[in-house]
Amino acid sequence: MIEGTPLQAGDTVLLPERIGDLTGLDQFGLAGELLATFLAAFLVGNLMLAMTGVAGPWAKRKITAAFTDRIAVNRLGPAGLFIIVADAVRLLSKELIVPENADRPAYDLAPIVVASSALLGFAVIPMGSGIHLADPEVGLVFTFAVAGIASVGLVMAGYSSANKYSLLGGLRAVAQNVAYEIPLIVTGMSVVIFTGTLQMSEIVAVQNEPLVDLGLVAIPQWFAIVNPFAFVLFLVANFAEVGRNPFDTPEAPTEIVAGYQTEYSSVYFVLIYLGEFLHIFLGGAIIATIFLGGPAGPGPEAIGIVWFLVKIWGVFLLTQWLRSAVPRVRIDQLIEIGWKGLLVLSFANLVLTAVIVGLIA
Amino acid sequence: MSTGLERQGREVTEDDLEALIGDRALGRDDHLNAPGFVIRPDDVQDVLFDLRDEAGFDHLSCLTAQQYEDRYESIYHMKKYADPTQEVSVVVPTSIDDPVSQSAEPVFRTADWHEREAFDLVGIDYEGHPDPRRILLPETWQGHPLSKDYDQEQPQVVTLSEHANPIQPDHHDQESDTMFLNIGPHHPATHGVLHLETVLDGETVVDVDPDVGYLHRCEEQMCQSGTYRHQIMPYPDRWDYVSAGLLNEWAYARVAEDLADIEVPEYAQVIRTMGAELCRIASHMLALATFALDVYGDFTAVFQYGMRDREVVQDILEDLTGQRLMFNYFRLGGVAWDLPEPRGEFLEKTRDFLDGLPAKVDEYHDLLTGNEIFQVRTHDTGVLEPEVAKSYGCTGPVARASGVDYDLRRDDPYGYYENLEWDVVTRQGCDNYARVLCRMEEVEESAKIIEQCVDLLEDWPEDDREIQANVPRTLKPDPDTEVYRAVEGAKGELGIYIRSDGTDKPGRFKIRSPCFHNLSALGEMSEGEYVPDLIASLGSLDIVLGEVDR
Repeated sequence: MIEGTPLQAGDTVLLPERIGDLTGLDQFGLAGELLATFLAAFLVGNLMLAMTGVAGPWAKRKITAAFTDRIAVNRLGPAGLFIIVADAVRLLSKELIVPENADRPAYDLAPIVVASSALLGFAVIPMGSGIHLADPEVGLVFTFAVAGIASVGLVMAGYSSANKYSLLGGLRAVAQNVAYEIPLIVTGMSVVIFTGTLQMSEIVAVQNEPLVDLGLVAIPQWFAIVNPFAFVLFLVANFAEVGRNPFDTPEAPTEIVAGYQTEYSSVYFVLIYLGEFLHIFLGGAIIATIFLGGPAGPGPEAIGIVWFLVKIWGVFLLTQWLRSAVPRVRIDQLIEIGWKGLLVLSFANLVLTAVIVGLIA
Repeated sequence: MSTGLERQGREVTEDDLEALIGDRALGRDDHLNAPGFVIRPDDVQDVLFDLRDEAGFDHLSCLTAQQYEDRYESIYHMKKYADPTQEVSVVVPTSIDDPVSQSAEPVFRTADWHEREAFDLVGIDYEGHPDPRRILLPETWQGHPLSKDYDQEQPQVVTLSEHANPIQPDHHDQESDTMFLNIGPHHPATHGVLHLETVLDGETVVDVDPDVGYLHRCEEQMCQSGTYRHQIMPYPDRWDYVSAGLLNEWAYARVAEDLADIEVPEYAQVIRTMGAELCRIASHMLALATFALDVYGDFTAVFQYGMRDREVVQDILEDLTGQRLMFNYFRLGGVAWDLPEPRGEFLEKTRDFLDGLPAKVDEYHDLLTGNEIFQVRTHDTGVLEPEVAKSYGCTGPVARASGVDYDLRRDDPYGYYENLEWDVVTRQGCDNYARVLCRMEEVEESAKIIEQCVDLLEDWPEDDREIQANVPRTLKPDPDTEVYRAVEGAKGELGIYIRSDGTDKPGRFKIRSPCFHNLSALGEMSEGEYVPDLIASLGSLDIVLGEVDR
């Protein structure tokens, strides 16, 4: 908020408090509070995992098939939905093969780091309908920070697998994440200049102020509408950050087989895959929160979560669309686009936003 | 159609050749297709240099090695890129006890792989060869399978070399910063079982050595043990097995018909031409689709579109031949049967496909060649200069995309091609992008050819539909007749050399595979580039390992 509109922290009731209230756990002091928090985190975590479960074995196949003139899963259950169960059984019951020269425990920890870092990010995202785990003042920085931990997991996976393809993939992943995280965060900061806060709930609240009032319809000042340039920059940097086409060089099947995940099988493979999807969804969640007004949308506030999920899935759909239609850039071109293109543009955007916001103020 | 006459250099007569080779010729050993000169084993480089530089024979089309009772023989089949009807064979006999011949590798780079193969299968040593290893068989294989004293019945257990650490190159020494990487034989981008021994500096390719032979199925030997009339024709389908079957069959049909002096009825030639071009479209569609797969990195829309459109061609071919993969439709002197009844329906189906093709080609241009990322990826990568392409014996779309105007359908006409209106596609780009565009344009040219064939077939008088010439039940060409003939396959010049020995089976059957030559140029194209470019270059060569390894 530019002029510090009275929007104190603590206005919003967070999910743990609500659960504490509903179940009466808040009477038991700290222990009750902890239990309520745990329950809330369990709910949110499972919501995200369930979404990944739908996305990975089913939605992704259906979407790609639609783009490429095919039918995809349609044998088990309505619209092939039960393939999720079949795939879960299949993936978990596969043999877990650990390479002889793997560097353990780094090899074992990598999938967990990759998956959990993404899951952590959802802790501070306001998903509407009162689903919001925590609302620290540094919310935005927190999500960037935990999402960044994934890079560590990728490097661990890359070098500990004792496979040259993994090593190449790991190196590519680091080079790419370093090159694209800076423009990502710098573009994110232009939003902060506009809102004047890092707190997620306030970023959402500011965006819901009307930009133009047309009588019947009020166009909210979603940051994607206020500054579409920053929105596009952020989208592009985000695709590179989550390693999706045209920036899927760290995996690059056909070049380096599967990159850092070449040697992972069974549960470990599932975890890495889970982590990747969670990262796509986290990227979508961040985009929805700081550019698309979070859970805001027509209708009562209670259905906020629906709008929020629609926005996340919109971003997911976009990644699948690109995957089907756009070639992969080469690793050197990728780095060039990152350092020479996006970085410069994102700083230009930051300075411009700062100047404009300063002038209006 | 341009006849290619205006491009021909000075016609080299036999007298010129005799004068040029002079005393170095020990005698003559003429083949049906070309004059043959016998020379001493230590004159090989000398004579080949002269033929290349003085007489313009810049295309070492093939090298055949074989063993007689009293001698070994290497035959260098030479042609001109400017006019492949001008041919000369250089025959190099070597003694049975000490088969050593001078290597031609300094004259033509393509002799490198060819002489390795001759050593591997027949057992001739080439003096001065830079890399005298086996190429198709495992390095510890005992004996040379096509030599006379080889025991065909004895099975062999193939081990790794004794006392050699199989992953030795894996451990780089202290000084170098390079890394050895095995790409393949199991790798998503090797289009079959190809093994690239790659040395990387970071992600830059320093050296790449294709290790072929995983799919070696003794095709030459199998053809040598089949009778000319019926038993050989099914094999060519299995060389380049991704829908180029009829083109391969034509290679055998052409050489055998030349050998036995069989005249093919015109009606059958038209059907052959149509079928062959359908195969070319199917093959180029697959090349396009898999190249997109290599660059996009996934089974994306372009790949599926390519498969979808290829499927239509496959259906037409299935109607025509009764098969989807191993057609076995050509016969010596014609084809197996006439167009399927009802004819009108079949021709209509083919027409429908041709009518829909321009829209599909536009779609590919929209989605693939017009995409800026695709252009950035493929422009100026995998560069193959025309002179390098010639030295490696590259042909087909690979050579034509490097500006080498060479197409046997026009330059050494066969079938019905010379009576039809079409153009040879060449591009000057020399890079991966040029090769993609070249194939796409060739699809359009093939469509033109098919359209004219369909028109011809529709109006062909009913009482003149002769699909087969009168060919004796058993063919026994005169002994010691030798012939080398080539056709324009999907991947380039597909040639066959046959020496008859008086029986109803060939004495020697040698296949000149275009993929074998094209693949040998891979190192030249990708050294100094990044791994992704190496993969793209490999895809753009459009190799089929069945044809490389035979």
